[in-house]
Amino acid sequence: MPETAPRATQTSPPESMSIVLDHVGVTLQERPVLRGIDLVLEERRVGIVGLNGSGKSTLARLLNGLVLPDEGTVRVHGLDTRTQARAVRRAVGFVFQNPENQIVFPIVGEDVAFGLRNIGLPKRDAEARALAALAAHGLDGLADRPAHTLSGGEKQLLALVSVLVMEPRIVVLDEPTTALDLRNRNRIRAAIAGLAQTAIVVTHDLDLVSDFERVLVVDEGRIVADDAPEAALRWYRENRA
Amino acid sequence: MSPSLYVPGDGPLHRLPAGAKLAALAGLGVALFLVSSPIVLGAAALAAAGVVAATGVRLARLRGALAGVAIVVAIVVAANAWLAGWREAAAVGARIVALVLLGYALTLTTRTSDLLATLERLLAPLERIGLADAGKVALAVALVLRFVPELMKQAADIREARAARGLRVGPVALVVPMIVRVLRSADAIAEAIDARAYPPCKSPPTSAIPSSTGPGSADHDNA
Repeated sequence: MPETAPRATQTSPPESMSIVLDHVGVTLQERPVLRGIDLVLEERRVGIVGLNGSGKSTLARLLNGLVLPDEGTVRVHGLDTRTQARAVRRAVGFVFQNPENQIVFPIVGEDVAFGLRNIGLPKRDAEARALAALAAHGLDGLADRPAHTLSGGEKQLLALVSVLVMEPRIVVLDEPTTALDLRNRNRIRAAIAGLAQTAIVVTHDLDLVSDFERVLVVDEGRIVADDAPEAALRWYRENRA
Repeated sequence: MSPSLYVPGDGPLHRLPAGAKLAALAGLGVALFLVSSPIVLGAAALAAAGVVAATGVRLARLRGALAGVAIVVAIVVAANAWLAGWREAAAVGARIVALVLLGYALTLTTRTSDLLATLERLLAPLERIGLADAGKVALAVALVLRFVPELMKQAADIREARAARGLRVGPVALVVPMIVRVLRSADAIAEAIDARAYPPCKSPPTSAIPSSTGPGSADHDNA
């Protein structure tokens, strides 16, 4: 497969239901990390793969305004990540690579309720919704447990639940299966498969995105392949392995 | 087990409001400094141990944490014995033990969120006159409680890594990598807190579910 142009130039879906990156460039510590990214994401399952340092995590961070573009614009459901960051962060949940750094409160139930309290839900409602969200992902019974005593897989699930409880329209997951054993990897994979939301997953775990609708390959700050998983992953294996 | 963490239960101390427990701790703390008799302070320390026992948490589970406190108390007592005599040293030691045990009793029986809500209420007058941001103080306290066990784990990891290479662990060898790790973690945690809609809205939402543009879509911020 030849190196492909990003799809943004090929389609123009309704902006209100999509993420649109318009000629985006990001420079971090005087090093260009992303260059000239034009992209429209509207599929329910999108994978992003690439070598370490390729810029894929920065691309993911752009999607909920954690990183702002130095050039161009990023719009989520029509909201500009630069000027409407708060609304964008409500619409796009972000699950970090290391769940240790995402868990803010010492007790599991309190941590899940943290985001809900931030959006103004009364304490009792936030706690009830947190309990329901934990139960929905097989973590019922852990609400009163100290978060630091959970296993690696439970922490990753907790990080995911803490995001899902906010009911975002889109969930971005940055390497969600890194450092997990096979059993926990499968739990996370099942959780992603069961998401009602759009999921955008950055990963080195190529199997994880093999049944997605679309896979992007990022290399040296550019999208060098953008296709259905089979074709995109074949290109990645043949050209960057 | 970390002593700074809530343990679920339904005893009388668990049912007591966080504000009442915090006020009792503050009052008893002041009272302990008004008393200088080592016998009375020793009795207070025993009573505090009784309060911890009343939480339903076995003292044996606190052994690890209490061992750390015992080292600090031993150093303080030794210094006081040398500088001010054994009577004063015994009083200081008993006072610290009583205070630490009462602090444990509070955190073992109080949810962090309840503690923080009380703290926010207490700081509200200061916030009104612009001297403190109650929400930020409460979040800072939550992060301290959350990351105490994390820091202890990191210290253990560093010790293990050095031991694996046959190296001894001195204070500098421990502290320098700890600082580097903590600073790295701080950036990541700040990012994670941002990603979870912090700072809080001041007004309740009509719905927590973001619509196509979300309830906060009218926000035009530069976060």
